[in-house]
Amino acid sequence: MKKLILKSVLYIFLILLVLEVLVRVFHLSKDTPTRFLDKHEVEKWFPNQNGFSVTGNRRQNFSEYHINSSGYNSYREFTPSKDKIEIALVGDSFIEGFHQDFYNSIGKKIENAIPSLEVYEYGYAGYDFADQLHLIDSYKKQFDLINHIILGLKFSNDLTRGEYKVVTSRLNLESPLNRLLKKSKLLVYCKSIGILDPPQEFVYKFINLLQPKPKAKTIDKKEIERIKLEEEKRFLANFESLIARYGFEKERYTLLLDSRITSPIFMSYLKKHNFRYIDYASSFESTNRSTTLIYDRHWNNHGRNLIAKNIINYLKSNNLTP
Amino acid sequence: MLFNSLEFFIFLPIVFILYWFVFFKKTRVQNLFLLVSSYIFYGLWDWRFLFLILASTVVDFFVGQTIYNNTSNSKRKTWLWVSVIFNIGLLGFFKYYNFFIDSWIDLLSIVGYETTSTWTLQIILPVGISFYTFQTMSYSLDIYYKRLQPTKDFISFATFVSFFPQLVAGPIERASNLLSQITTKRVFTYNQCKEGLKLILWGLFKKIVIADAIAPIVDDIFLNYNEYSASTLILGVSLFSFQVYGDFSGYSDIAIGTAKLFGIELMSNFKFPIFARNVAEYWQRWHVSLSTWFRHYVYIPLGGSRVSKLKSVRNIIIIFLVSGFWHGANWTFIAWGALHAVLYIPVFLMGRNRMYMGNVVAENRWFPSLTEILQILLTFSLVTFSRVFFRSTSITDAFGFLEQMYSNFTYETYHHPLGYRMVDYFVLLGIFLLYEFRIRKDERAPFKFKSKIVRFILYALVILGMLLFYDDQIDRSFIYFQF
Repeated sequence: MKKLILKSVLYIFLILLVLEVLVRVFHLSKDTPTRFLDKHEVEKWFPNQNGFSVTGNRRQNFSEYHINSSGYNSYREFTPSKDKIEIALVGDSFIEGFHQDFYNSIGKKIENAIPSLEVYEYGYAGYDFADQLHLIDSYKKQFDLINHIILGLKFSNDLTRGEYKVVTSRLNLESPLNRLLKKSKLLVYCKSIGILDPPQEFVYKFINLLQPKPKAKTIDKKEIERIKLEEEKRFLANFESLIARYGFEKERYTLLLDSRITSPIFMSYLKKHNFRYIDYASSFESTNRSTTLIYDRHWNNHGRNLIAKNIINYLKSNNLTP
Repeated sequence: MLFNSLEFFIFLPIVFILYWFVFFKKTRVQNLFLLVSSYIFYGLWDWRFLFLILASTVVDFFVGQTIYNNTSNSKRKTWLWVSVIFNIGLLGFFKYYNFFIDSWIDLLSIVGYETTSTWTLQIILPVGISFYTFQTMSYSLDIYYKRLQPTKDFISFATFVSFFPQLVAGPIERASNLLSQITTKRVFTYNQCKEGLKLILWGLFKKIVIADAIAPIVDDIFLNYNEYSASTLILGVSLFSFQVYGDFSGYSDIAIGTAKLFGIELMSNFKFPIFARNVAEYWQRWHVSLSTWFRHYVYIPLGGSRVSKLKSVRNIIIIFLVSGFWHGANWTFIAWGALHAVLYIPVFLMGRNRMYMGNVVAENRWFPSLTEILQILLTFSLVTFSRVFFRSTSITDAFGFLEQMYSNFTYETYHHPLGYRMVDYFVLLGIFLLYEFRIRKDERAPFKFKSKIVRFILYALVILGMLLFYDDQIDRSFIYFQF
């Protein structure tokens, strides 16, 4: 028995070691850049990092990222000036675009169509509307030089708060323990393909077993509708509160949204108050090809092409191009 | 609890440690512990059905003793019938009741008497019922045929019926093999445990990498068969052959490997049927425990092949129809069984049904001959063709599948329903086939290589394969659990 236990432990250790090497050799696992909080309390990536982002268990999506000196994934540096025409894309992971090669991003696609335009992509996973406006406000001088700013907005995700506060849960990912765990590419890979979900769920289940269970309430359709309406009104109030705090230049700012997943109340509010927006719903609806990745809900190359096309058309039709 | 679940990988080491370190002194206590563990294992699915296992256990325990103690042949027969009727009755009610009612209503409508079903019931099929009822029946049958003496130890007998590694999907053991091991003291041996762990690893590979990875493709093709051309349908049914093999033989390997950890040897269930050279050899290598059961308890009592050719053919037809029906309450399984009878009978009439017993393809050679390759391909094609019926949800779908294949006999490129690269799967199956061919001589030793380094590399590659093909979105239950 002793021999069995000792040999099993030895084999497990050696196999894990070999797997770690194999995962690294075949680059199955994603690299994780370091994030930080700058002097303006803006959360961003540590400047000048390079690496590869991997999605899926057999490298279903493999792309290269490059964090520029401003702390965002982009092939170019952000150097706005009065002599050039610049566009800023501000948003979450969809704008950040770790799922594409940094030299084939939405911004690059727009620049390819309009060569004299410079597109700055201020994308960061998890940025909501508060993060976006706080960023613009913190770097006001820089953003004032940019001709037009497009802000990605997902109604159900991005308006859950009415004031900016540092999101500590994201920064906790940079804790010494997390950094240490991320050093194991095998562990990162296992987590990314969901193999670690069952043990995690098991632990949660076990913890929940020890806690008293709240009585499940039955909610009828009317109640669901009422809750939904209340939430939409709250999101709208958050939007109003944020633009009151940071300001919103209606002529210079445009929202990028999908009307299929945006509240009709919010849509009519935007129309009524003359907020500019690009709605990509119809272009996504009319295509018969998938717009998202296999393993991920982020846009694939086709999805990004459609987004770029929507923005180009918008810029052209509003005479925002050089 | 599934073999490929986290719960099992927590359950197994706990049971293993307690079994060898805490309850090792007395065999009876060890058996009681195994029994409780087995009931927990099964009860985590649905504890209500534990009463069925218990009922089947109690009936056959007492029937076995009564048969043995009776000298009168008629009484012995009567008590045997009690066991058979009870177990078949359980199966009949839980598995076949709705099928018979629906078939009866269909028959009435054919003769012009339209009626709606008010007799069908919402019955859940208890997991493993087809397996443990057959196992308990074999006990009574063996005592009846005077091949076995009944045990007086109820705990051992109950452990034999519910032994968790093989409770839900076999191998269907005979008491002469399993019960005799349960009643005697087990001794821990390093080699047995090591072999067990290797089999578990190989079984998990077959389940996760072969069966589960292919499943979405097969599901898609069979669900949308009327949208695809013949090339895709052939791909679908061929992949199903690999899926069902990986799934069931993977399960069996894990079961045999797990039993080894407890010092118990279960019978082999799969002996590389992919390399069978005719349909008869296929049945000597596919689901061996079920084939053996039918041979011992149905085919031989009917006269087997020692009667006239005509009667032997009749016996073969009966065996395959019953075997098909055992798989499920659906005409598709009966059609599948009938088709196998049709494929088997010519082999039997030509006297070639036993010619490959005890030898494997390319025996003492590195590569198979051209004739052998053609034989394997032909057998695989025939068996795969029959799987159209096995996999389809109804007879109408099965014929629809075949009609679509015939009417749209063209080639098209198939794309994975989830967008994955198809080439990955072809490479995977190619490597799998080559490896299975390499190890074809011993189904119980999947890593039989002299070099420690080679073995170690293989372990690492097998686990890497699991990591590469693991998909958390896939339903991970085993196909044969539904039977």
